[in-house]
Amino acid sequence: MAVVLFGLTLLLFILLKTMPGDPARIMAGLGATPESIEVIRNRLGLYDPLYVQYWRLISGLVNGQLQAMTYHKPVWTVIMERLPATVELGVAAMILALFVSIPAGLLSAIYRNSPLDYGVTTAALMGISIPVFWFALMLMLVFGVILHILPVSGRGATLFGWSFLTVDGLRHLIIPSVALSSVLMALNARLTRASMLEVLRQEYINTARAKGLRERVVLVKHAFRNALAPVVTNIGLQVGTLFAGAVLTETTTAWPGIGRLIYESILRRDQSVVFGLALFMGACYMISYLVVDLLYAYIDPRITYD
Amino acid sequence: MTDTDHQDIVRKRAMLNDYVLSLLLPGLGHIVRGWWRKGLLFWLFLVIQGGVLYIAVMRGRLAWLAYSASESPSQYWFSTTMLFLFFVILWLWAFFDLRRSIRASDVETFVQGYWQIVSRRFSKDPKGLIGLGIIAIVCYVAIFAPFFAQGNALKMDLVNFLAPPSAQHPLGLDNFGRDVLDRIIFGSRVALGIGGVATLLNMLFGGFLGLIGGYFRGVPDAIIMRILEIVNSIPFLVLVLLIVSLWGAGITTLIVVLGIFGLGPARIIRSEVLSVREEDYILAARAVGAPTLRIILRHVLPNAIASLLVVTTMTIGVNIIVVAGLSFLGFGVRPPIPSWGAMLQQAQEFMRSAWWMAVYPGLCIIITVFGFNILGDSLRDVLDPRLK
Repeated sequence: MAVVLFGLTLLLFILLKTMPGDPARIMAGLGATPESIEVIRNRLGLYDPLYVQYWRLISGLVNGQLQAMTYHKPVWTVIMERLPATVELGVAAMILALFVSIPAGLLSAIYRNSPLDYGVTTAALMGISIPVFWFALMLMLVFGVILHILPVSGRGATLFGWSFLTVDGLRHLIIPSVALSSVLMALNARLTRASMLEVLRQEYINTARAKGLRERVVLVKHAFRNALAPVVTNIGLQVGTLFAGAVLTETTTAWPGIGRLIYESILRRDQSVVFGLALFMGACYMISYLVVDLLYAYIDPRITYD
Repeated sequence: MTDTDHQDIVRKRAMLNDYVLSLLLPGLGHIVRGWWRKGLLFWLFLVIQGGVLYIAVMRGRLAWLAYSASESPSQYWFSTTMLFLFFVILWLWAFFDLRRSIRASDVETFVQGYWQIVSRRFSKDPKGLIGLGIIAIVCYVAIFAPFFAQGNALKMDLVNFLAPPSAQHPLGLDNFGRDVLDRIIFGSRVALGIGGVATLLNMLFGGFLGLIGGYFRGVPDAIIMRILEIVNSIPFLVLVLLIVSLWGAGITTLIVVLGIFGLGPARIIRSEVLSVREEDYILAARAVGAPTLRIILRHVLPNAIASLLVVTTMTIGVNIIVVAGLSFLGFGVRPPIPSWGAMLQQAQEFMRSAWWMAVYPGLCIIITVFGFNILGDSLRDVLDPRLK
């Protein structure tokens, strides 16, 4: 993991160094004299050898001193200000997705080849085919523009930096989280269905049926728990999907989270925020990957790590 | 002359007649022989092709007919060539398929090959047929776009801009007064073109990495896996967004970036190769001293082809969605070129006044990607060698 994290920083550093646009000029703002740009260039250390610049970037991120170029604040502060919005969006979307997809997947596996099953599998296939930003646009169009029951965009009122604590914020949260959850819903429903079908083929299910247990007991006690293990562990792996979806959903619905922040920073060529944020997303992904690995051993006692 | 000789001559003459019939009209030979379904299928293709030809002729858009029209005919050359190429292919295909079928019917066969089983199973799977149908339609629209469009994909109508759907413009006009339907028709070229070529690169590049990693294992595998992990750790969309913002948007950049950094297939190919290389026939090939390259090309790849097909189909869908997403964020295809994602980006500003700008391009993305996904899903079932 350390190797991967190091490789990621290296990859991002190389990418940023090839980014067109002079960071000093961006920091200096419009109408800056060549002399002042030169001063900033020296202050940023753009004439230092590359490894010095790389080290400054990394150490700046670790000790929190790295300044955002367009915000006059440290990068960490900028990210942390925006993080709660994305966290609540992602968590809401994930909860929504699980509440819909797990029952749907289980039912469609139990009633295999029934109309219900066809409905769920088709809907799930549609779900992975729908671009989240278009879905968000349609929700905004129907519920915001035509029906006037939900606010079209923005985050609404917040309490302690969280918008799900206020009614207004909650109303603003609905459209982005539903849009973002569409993909997760589809992915998880397919996964649940496949895993449940796999479990139902196992011999211990036959055994349970053969010893005369009622079908409900067989399903609830023997099948569900085993079928859900891969689904639960897979949630962690969907962090990447969540972030990618968040970039699109947040830009569409003007939700001020880190997805929108990275998009804005790329537009503004704010290299330090892009670097910090991409690294942050990568680290989140890796940590969740690690947690999943550990969780796997907890859920499935047959797996041990030495 | 013996009796069997005489029968032989009669049979050969009948066969010749069927060939002539097939050359006269594709599918006729099949129908005479009693292969109704195949013959009618050829006729269906013939009708579709004829329809396209009819539209092209009536609108004066075959390349050499278009000289009289005000526009330059150069934009019609591709479609015209493809149209006649399709006709030639249809004729040849019908002929050779008939020949193959007749020869096969002479020989009694008891064992069916893998691909025969697959094609029979596929023809009974509604999912796959729906997917194939959708993809065929989109491909037709993309290839023959100039025939179907009214020619207002780029032409602006600054008087009637944002006009709602009407008889003349079935899907309305956009904010520059360009026909939405025309732009959608031409947008299919961008979507399929970028999606297809990028996926080809994905499969070549990812396939190369996956093969090396899976076959040789050890150090090369470790290095490749670390690279995959590094690239996979940032969300694909963010990575591509970053790189495209560096290199500048454009069709070529998009194809190259998606092609190189879309490393999803590499991982799947690697795991497939890992399992294939443990099979006994690989051991046998190595035991007789076959060189590594030959083992990879003749034994590993053909046995991994099933999952490669599934991955390819699914990847095209993913790439189309990513391209749409990038274009929507303004980092994809440059504005004057019609693309579905960029159309949605424009539509966002005019949500309140022009819903048609936002609804239809999105539907097209969904239908196309759905086609690829459902085909991939069906292929996964159909190609599974365990189910016979």
